[in-house]
Amino acid sequence: MAKRQKRFLVLADRPVNKDGFIKEWIDVGLVAMDSPNDPKPSIKIENGVVVELDGKRREDFDMIDTFIADHCVDKSVAQEAMAIDSLKFARMLVDINCPRSELVRLSVGLTPAKVVSILRELNVVELMMAMQKLRSRKTPMNQAHVTNLKDSAPLLAADAAEAAYRGFAEIETTVGVVRYAPMNAMSLLVGGQTGRPGVLAQCAVEEALELSMGMRGLTHYAETVSVYGTEQVFVDGDDTPWSKSFLASAYASRGLKMRYTSGTGSEVQMGYAEGKSMLYLEVRCIMVTKGAGVQGLQNGSISCIGVPGSVPGGIKTVLAENVATVLMNLEVASGNDQTFTHSIERNTARMLMQFLPGTDFIFSGYAAEPNYDNMFAGSTHDVDDYDDYLVLQRDLQVDGGLIPVTEEGVIAVRNKAARALQAVFDELGLPAITDEEVELATYAHGTKDIGDRNVPEDLRAIDEFMKRGGTGLDVVRALAKRGFKDIAESVLRMQIGKVAGDYLQTSAVYTEKFEVLSAINDPNDYEGPGTGYRLQGERWEKLKNIPQAIDPKDI
Amino acid sequence: MAQQGSELSPEMIAAAVKRVLASLNESAGKSGTVNPASTAGGLDAKKDYPLAIKRRDLVKSATGLALDAITLDKVVEGKIGFDDMKIHPDTLEYQAQIAISAGRPHIAKNLRRAAELTRIPDARVLEIYNALRPYRSTRQQLLDIADELETKYQAKICAGFVREALAVYEKRGRIKK
Amino acid sequence: MQISEELVRQIILDVLKQEQGEGKPAKRQDEQVPPLSFKELGPAKTGTDRNEVVIGVPPAFGTHMTKTIIDIPHREVLKELFAGIEEEGVKARLVRVNRTADVGAVAHDAAVLSGSGIGIGILCRGTTVIHQRDLEILQNLELFPQSPLVDKDALRAIGRNAAKYAKGEHPSPVPTRNDPMARPKYQGLAALLHNKETQYVKPGAPSTELSVQL
Repeated sequence: MAKRQKRFLVLADRPVNKDGFIKEWIDVGLVAMDSPNDPKPSIKIENGVVVELDGKRREDFDMIDTFIADHCVDKSVAQEAMAIDSLKFARMLVDINCPRSELVRLSVGLTPAKVVSILRELNVVELMMAMQKLRSRKTPMNQAHVTNLKDSAPLLAADAAEAAYRGFAEIETTVGVVRYAPMNAMSLLVGGQTGRPGVLAQCAVEEALELSMGMRGLTHYAETVSVYGTEQVFVDGDDTPWSKSFLASAYASRGLKMRYTSGTGSEVQMGYAEGKSMLYLEVRCIMVTKGAGVQGLQNGSISCIGVPGSVPGGIKTVLAENVATVLMNLEVASGNDQTFTHSIERNTARMLMQFLPGTDFIFSGYAAEPNYDNMFAGSTHDVDDYDDYLVLQRDLQVDGGLIPVTEEGVIAVRNKAARALQAVFDELGLPAITDEEVELATYAHGTKDIGDRNVPEDLRAIDEFMKRGGTGLDVVRALAKRGFKDIAESVLRMQIGKVAGDYLQTSAVYTEKFEVLSAINDPNDYEGPGTGYRLQGERWEKLKNIPQAIDPKDI
Repeated sequence: MAQQGSELSPEMIAAAVKRVLASLNESAGKSGTVNPASTAGGLDAKKDYPLAIKRRDLVKSATGLALDAITLDKVVEGKIGFDDMKIHPDTLEYQAQIAISAGRPHIAKNLRRAAELTRIPDARVLEIYNALRPYRSTRQQLLDIADELETKYQAKICAGFVREALAVYEKRGRIKK
Repeated sequence: MQISEELVRQIILDVLKQEQGEGKPAKRQDEQVPPLSFKELGPAKTGTDRNEVVIGVPPAFGTHMTKTIIDIPHREVLKELFAGIEEEGVKARLVRVNRTADVGAVAHDAAVLSGSGIGIGILCRGTTVIHQRDLEILQNLELFPQSPLVDKDALRAIGRNAAKYAKGEHPSPVPTRNDPMARPKYQGLAALLHNKETQYVKPGAPSTELSVQL
């Protein structure tokens, strides 16, 4: 064009136009929730065995079909559930007179294609209504990412403490350098309990390494246990539904909470979506999770969010997959954990879908560090968004899981966590954390404000700690010996929690009194206005009281 | 990491002896308490959960310690080790019953497999997991693992699960050739 | 100040770029890059020369697809990799892996064919892995998962590091980069490109030895 229209020049400059958008490509499955290649719902059961699933005969089943047919589908309700018209079922999802318990009873009688045909009937507001009713735990909560570009232990401990103090119920780290994993886990173990006793911590790395850290008492739960919706991609991910189920049992056998991870877009991203819609494949992942007897799932596209984010209806589909998860009576950690847009508007709109109805974990990773330090390649929201988020909670009277804090309080817990870790390192013979490092970590915004650690020395020392069979109890002893008795007690209580196993149940977290809160003793009982979780009373007083609000009494 | 080491390290033998002793002590001293197997009908999600609060009497660690017996002082003095703080298979069975009572039979199945795996050392659990990954094991290797689970660890459910996996892997060509 | 033709060219390009606005939509440029002229030399053989690195490319590389996600022509990609390897006094050999377009598998196949046991796998869009024969497929020596960040400098450094591994050295990894905004801009496109690429995969087909005039 020779001459450009000035409004278009301005529009071309808007952040949203830096995002990538793709038109649907049905043949390969670059389509959100409605592909003509998606099978038609059907089920046939003979002598208690599923012999046909979504139009496929048993002899033609792939691994995933077989696993769903044999481990997820409840043959005693399948006929009843499949006989319900999809539109009618969709209406039941939003009908306040149809209780959650009835829906989850029927859900295990559904096939993947049937679930998709039901979800297709709902618009985005209805999907939020369904989420509000179906989420497993009554009280909504939140998870944070705690990472940094340098894998700096004192900074991880300080960030973990602040995240816990601000109200995150779970904190998750990962690594820049893989060999740092146990040291990062230890930093969260100490920092998390410093910020708020009872917070759960994990370290996301390769499956076998992740499990071995849990076995050593360095973590409390795991989440990066990926499942996929086509057999080829599952195998390319170096697992099968059976190996992953065995892994799930291995976690439980050590008293460790665990959930799987999946998400729309991963199959097409890996090139083998078989032309099926992203949602159809994701529902298969959800049913594999259910069949494995795992208590929950992290989904909402997760690391592939750029894929559904680029096609029509993709972001709505991300909510639909969250809803399918809770329909299956699972815990959901509902995404919002990866950058997917340059546009603040798109970013907030996408987050509101889970924030407004509330989920078990609205974010499966809010960046508790600046995004440049987020080693999950950036989250949707980071430390610089804390105040916006707190104001959104206050504006809309919604509990998003965070509480207002004071600067003094944050400085205090950050400092205490860094000092506690300093003592632990000293006791365990790990490379010293200097007083200067403690000070820098306490006041830092991110790694730009701290120095470098000696990486080879850190790695050698933590390798050595693992080789000599170090465990979480060594951390307890070190803390107690150096006068951090309260933190020692908390780290120990978390380990004792694994002996009781209460937090193996669905959607479990710990309160600061180390009492488990889960879908068993805090079940979501939403049945319309006046029921379910209400932000009111003491909690509302706390959330609305942001420090920057002017008190009329002061004027 | 923990994946190496021969199968008969002194630590493992010690741990095994400890476990056997613990289970002997338990069955000997249990006349007054509820027998896990005899909680007929199973535990109730509403009445008995969380176990750590409502049924503290039932929960013991893998080596037989009651929850109240695990204190910071004893840990610091070295009287309690990491092995004393692992979950007992009976506890997993109780949690399975609670899951069933709360309408979650799928979770119960997983917890019952887990109860069996408590008897297997960490390193071996990791090895078996790796062996179940695609193309890792031959037919015979998976059959051997199933037998090992059944005879060496009395892990009948897990053994069946491995045999089931083998059948599917063979059908779908995911076996090591 | 010396004003070279190159500098003038650069300034003109910069001005033009500003005129068009910085935040250009992430639209594919339609600039055509001609395919490379490969010569197929038969089935790829396992090398015996310990002083070599094998570069593996997937079926569509340089033929059906000719540039990376940030529009580096595949000719330039190979030039940089070869140059990096040769700078270290190591020989580079090129093979086409026909059976897969999975970057880990392409790289591992290359490593298995390599006399030194070190291979590089690079996808059409630029995703790259340095692999070693005796590692598991999902492991690697170095991984560059964000294709928009694989530029010419990175490619040269990848070649250099692969050669160093081949010589038995322990080089510092090519610095990893993290751009939280690469996903929003490129991930959908990356999925599209990957699906184009996998259409040319021939499961079970052996790899072929290639020579190419750069």
